[in-house]
Amino acid sequence: MLTIKILGTGCPNCKRLESETRKAVESLNAEAEYIKVTDYQDIMSYDLLSTPGLVINEKVVASGKIPSQGELTSMVTSALAES
Amino acid sequence: MDTILNAIPNLLGSGAGNLAAYLAAHVLLCLLPAFYIAGAMTALIPKETITRYLGRNTPKFISYPAAAAGGFLLAVCSCTVIPLFAGIYKKGAGLGPAITFLFVAPAVNILALSYTGAVLGLDLAIARLVLAIVFGIGVGLIMALIFWREDAQRDQKTDHMFAGQASMSRSSMIFLLVLVFLLIAGTFQIDLLTTSYFQLDLPLAGVDRFQEYLFQLVPFDPSLGEEGVTAQGALLIGLLVLIGLTAWKGLEKIFDGFNAWTWISTGLVGLTLLVASLGINPYPGGVELMLTGKFFAVLVSTLVLGWMMATQLSREETRNFLWETWRFIKQIFPLLVVGVFAVGVIRELIRPEWIQAVAGENTVLGNFVGVVFGVFMYFPTLIEVPIAQMFLRLGMHRGPLLAYLISDPELSLQSILITTSIIGRLKTWVYVFWVSIFSTLAGLLYGAWIDGTSLLLVSLYLLGILLVTSGVIWLLNHRKQDPPEAAAVPVYKE
Repeated sequence: MLTIKILGTGCPNCKRLESETRKAVESLNAEAEYIKVTDYQDIMSYDLLSTPGLVINEKVVASGKIPSQGELTSMVTSALAES
Repeated sequence: MDTILNAIPNLLGSGAGNLAAYLAAHVLLCLLPAFYIAGAMTALIPKETITRYLGRNTPKFISYPAAAAGGFLLAVCSCTVIPLFAGIYKKGAGLGPAITFLFVAPAVNILALSYTGAVLGLDLAIARLVLAIVFGIGVGLIMALIFWREDAQRDQKTDHMFAGQASMSRSSMIFLLVLVFLLIAGTFQIDLLTTSYFQLDLPLAGVDRFQEYLFQLVPFDPSLGEEGVTAQGALLIGLLVLIGLTAWKGLEKIFDGFNAWTWISTGLVGLTLLVASLGINPYPGGVELMLTGKFFAVLVSTLVLGWMMATQLSREETRNFLWETWRFIKQIFPLLVVGVFAVGVIRELIRPEWIQAVAGENTVLGNFVGVVFGVFMYFPTLIEVPIAQMFLRLGMHRGPLLAYLISDPELSLQSILITTSIIGRLKTWVYVFWVSIFSTLAGLLYGAWIDGTSLLLVSLYLLGILLVTSGVIWLLNHRKQDPPEAAAVPVYKE
């Protein structure tokens, strides 16, 4: 079970990032809990310089861009391997 | 009551007239490429190219200019500005460069600059760019000095966030440069570009009558600098609607893959730019097309761009580029259309005498009024430009106008609140104070130049202001070297 956090204040890219991530997780038949982090103070507690940010199991794996499906699946796969 | 009812068609006419002028060819030729450049900057420039100069251990003479450059290159939307600002402040180079970045970002992003240049004149755009960068660095230095003690106590974690290395691929660099060339070719009014090299006559009857009809539909007053809707303008508006519709089908779902609509809408954008760059002259019984230097420049650059997108950029790059561009257009364009219309309506309600009395001349008071108006009014991105144009036509001096243009995107109640949540109330208000001072100075200097003071003398004034400020900074800093804990923190070396 992965914990996936989407960091961002609700700009279109954050929504896009979430739907792309969901797609990647589904393609791997994995299970994940999604949490949207929209408060600036909470976002700033992670190490990133631009939103949207993607955090899997408390680790920042991407920020400031929407990774491609390929990148997303490999991120999810490695997170699954670690947990 | 009657007078109010009678005034309504007049007001609506003025709003429509303003919108028509806004959609005129020369504005489109600047704004459309600017949106694409903004998209390309966001999608193709890796943030690490700049952020690696904003780490804790970077020397000040690099981190401040890098922060200013970052404001220009990385900060087209607030989703970049605020996190980057907080990151530089808390984990990177510190309060000073963070403030410089915050000051420069909204004033000189590519959209605001090119729009200012097309609507208000190139000199104002250049003044906005230069003065925002100079004063941005000034405000940053002052803030770093005033709050030096807290800056020294910040957490001393490693700055791995700023260590990332990335470089732009060569093809995306060239792509970006061609886009910039397109913008320059579309915007600059020089003979080489505006001269017509070939004329074509099309036997299209009725276009002149159509244009007459449009002029009657949207009345305008050339003496006030207003432009009517020409036949070309109507064609462009039609093309824009088509782009909107096809982009909705082609770009909104671009993450599911490219489809035919993606290419149709992209092709339509090229076509729109070409039509906008033509000189179109309807006469009874036909239309004269003038193929200007501009037309050929636009033709060549759009062909190069299309070829590069198809063969040189990776699919990923093209996708991100188109998506970011579309996102900006979707976010900003509708607000801009509404804003421009509203400004046209409001213009009818303001008496020129009011503006002329307060800010008709380049006085300290006039500049300060411009700044105060900028601080307390909040307009969505880019709307400050049509508003400035309205003031200009109502008789505002260009000096106070620049003061307003610098302070408006800089400070609004909303941005003050967000900044407060990151750096605290005291620092925010000190920042607001200095921005007001510097915006007023910027207006005064530029206004003096407009009034005939030589560029040399204005530069000397600017230099003088900077020298006095840095002298005061140096003196204060000198005194602060005494306490023992300061010795470990070489903020400014003597």
